[in-house]
Amino acid sequence: MRKLLFLILTMAGMLTAQQPVVPTPDQPGTPGGEDVGNYNVTNSFETGYRFAEIGGDLGKYRSDVNYRNGIRLFDSSFSINSKDGHGHWFDEILLNTIGLGNDPYQSATLRVEKNQLYRYDMLWRLDEFYNPGVAISGGLHLMDTRRRLQDHDLTLFPQSKIKFRAGYSRNNQTGPALSSVQEFDAAGNQYPVFMNVRREWNEYRVGADVELAGFKFTVLRRWDFFKDDSVDNGVGPANLIPAAPGATLQQFTRFEPYHGSNPGWLGDLVSTHKHWALNARMTYTGGRRDFALDESAFGLNLGAAASRQILVSGNADRPVTAGDFSISLFPTERLTFVNNTSVHNSRTVGDSTYTEFDNLTGLGTSLNFRYLGVRTVANASDVNYRLTDWFGIYAGYHYSDRLITTIEDFASPPDSGLAGATYLRNNHMNTGTLGVRFRPVKPLTINLEGEIGRDNLPLTPISESNYHSVNGRIAYRTRTLQLSAQYRQVYNVNAPLNLSEYSSHSRNYTANASWSPRGWFSLDASYMKLHVDTTSALVFFAAFQLQQTPAIYLSNIHAANLGAHFGLAKRVDLYVGYSITKDTGDGRIAAIQPGIIDPVQGLLNSVETFPLSFQSPLARLSVRLNTKFRWNAGYQFYNYHEDFGLLGNLQNYRANTGYTSVSWSF
Amino acid sequence: MARALSTAILWLIPLLWVTAAAAQTPRTAPGYIGNTVCRDCHADVWEPFYKNPHYKSVASGNDAPQRTGCEGCHGGAQAHVAAGGGADTIPRAFSLMTPKQVVETCLGCHANDFSRANIRRSEHTLNDVACTSCHSIHHAATPKYLLAKKQSELCYGCHTGVRAQFEMPSKHRVNEGFMQCTDCHNPHGAFAATWRMSDRPRMVEQALGNEEPCLKCHADKRGPFVYEHPPVRVEGCETCHFPHGSTNTRLLRRPVVFTLCLQCHNGGGGFGTRNNGETRLSRTHNLLNPKYQNCTTCHVRVHGSNSDAFFLR
Repeated sequence: MRKLLFLILTMAGMLTAQQPVVPTPDQPGTPGGEDVGNYNVTNSFETGYRFAEIGGDLGKYRSDVNYRNGIRLFDSSFSINSKDGHGHWFDEILLNTIGLGNDPYQSATLRVEKNQLYRYDMLWRLDEFYNPGVAISGGLHLMDTRRRLQDHDLTLFPQSKIKFRAGYSRNNQTGPALSSVQEFDAAGNQYPVFMNVRREWNEYRVGADVELAGFKFTVLRRWDFFKDDSVDNGVGPANLIPAAPGATLQQFTRFEPYHGSNPGWLGDLVSTHKHWALNARMTYTGGRRDFALDESAFGLNLGAAASRQILVSGNADRPVTAGDFSISLFPTERLTFVNNTSVHNSRTVGDSTYTEFDNLTGLGTSLNFRYLGVRTVANASDVNYRLTDWFGIYAGYHYSDRLITTIEDFASPPDSGLAGATYLRNNHMNTGTLGVRFRPVKPLTINLEGEIGRDNLPLTPISESNYHSVNGRIAYRTRTLQLSAQYRQVYNVNAPLNLSEYSSHSRNYTANASWSPRGWFSLDASYMKLHVDTTSALVFFAAFQLQQTPAIYLSNIHAANLGAHFGLAKRVDLYVGYSITKDTGDGRIAAIQPGIIDPVQGLLNSVETFPLSFQSPLARLSVRLNTKFRWNAGYQFYNYHEDFGLLGNLQNYRANTGYTSVSWSF
Repeated sequence: MARALSTAILWLIPLLWVTAAAAQTPRTAPGYIGNTVCRDCHADVWEPFYKNPHYKSVASGNDAPQRTGCEGCHGGAQAHVAAGGGADTIPRAFSLMTPKQVVETCLGCHANDFSRANIRRSEHTLNDVACTSCHSIHHAATPKYLLAKKQSELCYGCHTGVRAQFEMPSKHRVNEGFMQCTDCHNPHGAFAATWRMSDRPRMVEQALGNEEPCLKCHADKRGPFVYEHPPVRVEGCETCHFPHGSTNTRLLRRPVVFTLCLQCHNGGGGFGTRNNGETRLSRTHNLLNPKYQNCTTCHVRVHGSNSDAFFLR
């Protein structure tokens, strides 16, 4: 049995996705553990050194991959289980970690449980996010922050008909970043400003589950608090994209505290019986934010001293209510009918008092008021019928109605009275789905599905309006061989007028094969082609001339993945893999096609397609030294290559990364 | 004093209930013979079973055989024992059951949890993806939730296109172990989305009570803001972003920002909350000037602002 379990675990490890090369999935032996008293203890660690050597655009590498040098605890696993389920303080402790030690992506999970009495779950994560910001703002929005997330959940009497829950979550983001500001007016230059990011979110939860008379009622009360105390403070920033020569921003500060809370409730009632089930859920989340902004900019404009000071203060509120009622009927073993009604109501209300001084001259104070209300009511019915053991059919119909209410008010001076404008926008959508399933023989499944939808008044030119999708999938699965292929097409037309011409067409082909004929050999390969083409109408000014022109965007992505695992002499495991993502674009060899001399056409032509490639071959060798130890080493190469660059920026890079480590388990 | 007494009584009632429930003597249904017989032949399954979450009910000893241990899932073993074994004599042999039977068997105990409230209309159930497609009760590969493989590998097994997206240059860090698919998705079926038209996506879990799951991590984008960017609030983040992965920076749907913004902001078609088209560029925005080609350089708060209707600060 242990041999079988080991084989299954080994095969599961072999069929992992390509990236990244470490942690090593191979285990030194069967993790049987050691008995200590009435407990069984298992433990495993993989620790070693990771290296990375990067050439080319370091910023882009850090944005995409971000692995660097150093000693790491790549992976660890620890468990204690009581053998009779009657431990004194606990029956189970599970601790798993990834990337501890300074990897950019780290996580730790912990579970401590005493049967019938309590269960505690913890999840801690860290993400180092780096973005050079070149592609979206010419580098002015660089970001190098760390985000730490943690979730704690305690359940009392987890196997009882009455459970109590308490939880705490925390999310904070800190680190340096750049933002940008335009001074000293709307035609002024753009300047990068330093931003010290300090954001924090805390949530506290208490709740209970009660089972009574065949019904289960869940109630959860939650409070969350958010604060953003990021400060923009830049002195003497560079003027990277000059629009007004001679202007200089010499001093800039912006304090913008933004604090608030979101108390909320959740109630859920569920009941399941032989021929029917129901679920009713209601949630309410309040939302309130208080803010103030104090901004000062000083410098030179047209050779003269210039300054701008802005003061803003106000509040924003958003109560959100959502409810669902779902009833399921299964009158026979072959038929299931589900009807779901959902309601969602969100109202964002805010006021903002804005005061501006230009060269110490007051430009006045204005009061702005905004209201954005969204109310959606939807009903969906789904029927699932199994005609025979090998053939089934399902169908669904969905109707939703949405009302968007907007109020925009403005008063200057603030006490001059508001005379706001109210706008209503009501739309509804009908969608229908039809699908069939075949299973002519046990390993073979075939699924076909079509969906069609109509929205009478979509909010944006790219919203789903008149769309259909077709989806087909075939899979063949046995213990050693798994094959599947899928085709999905989505076609959306949203063009009530020629001016707002928009259509989007995507075709997605995928194929996957996994073959594990022997315990010492397995092969995994997948391929995807994603073709997206959209046509939209762009309206803009070029040198004060209004331009109205259709714009095309075409993306033609091929992605492939190949991995092979070899077990050699019962001690050595070798994994080699290769993944590539390649956008071939529309086949052109230059960003602007030959013959285009009009600058407007040249600009649009240059952004119609963006060919690039991202490749990553890897190899990993793992040698079992004995039943407790393994030595591992791996190498992974990254190559990112843009054919044209974005608006003149090429961000190509190559990176040699790898590791060597020792795995120890008992 | 009276208030303290009434509070104590309120807390004692559920505890007494729990104690009373534990003290009840389980009744054995016909055809059920108990786990001890199973152990004799299936010692390999039984030996590590104390690490299995399903062992809790065995350890408690409070449940009747039809609700716990081997027979709790597989049905009464009397006929199986009498026949001397054989899969066809097991009332519920999962390898021989239809997906619907598998789902209903598991829901016999696991139905009363609102995270599974939508399982019967979920895409997985409609497409015959049953519990045992992802969970392996006796050969789990993960320390929690009895998954047959690491979570992302399970999902990639069918969702090859999504796997490819997570290997693109810009992606959420799922392969790296920082995130999991279930941070955003509920594989057992989710409640209707509170964004878009509530129709899709159907397997995306709400977070923070009733909001898009992106906002749990990206808390600074949540608002409320005095000046909301309506598509963000109404249509959701995927209006501009690919949530899994993209060849474009910051998971954007377009490599160049102005093409993303201008395909909505073209002033036409009666779109937008004012019904007169999304605001188009003014004459001062000369798109041939590089300054105006990166919209977010000036409109820095595109997710919403408290200070400026045009998201300038």
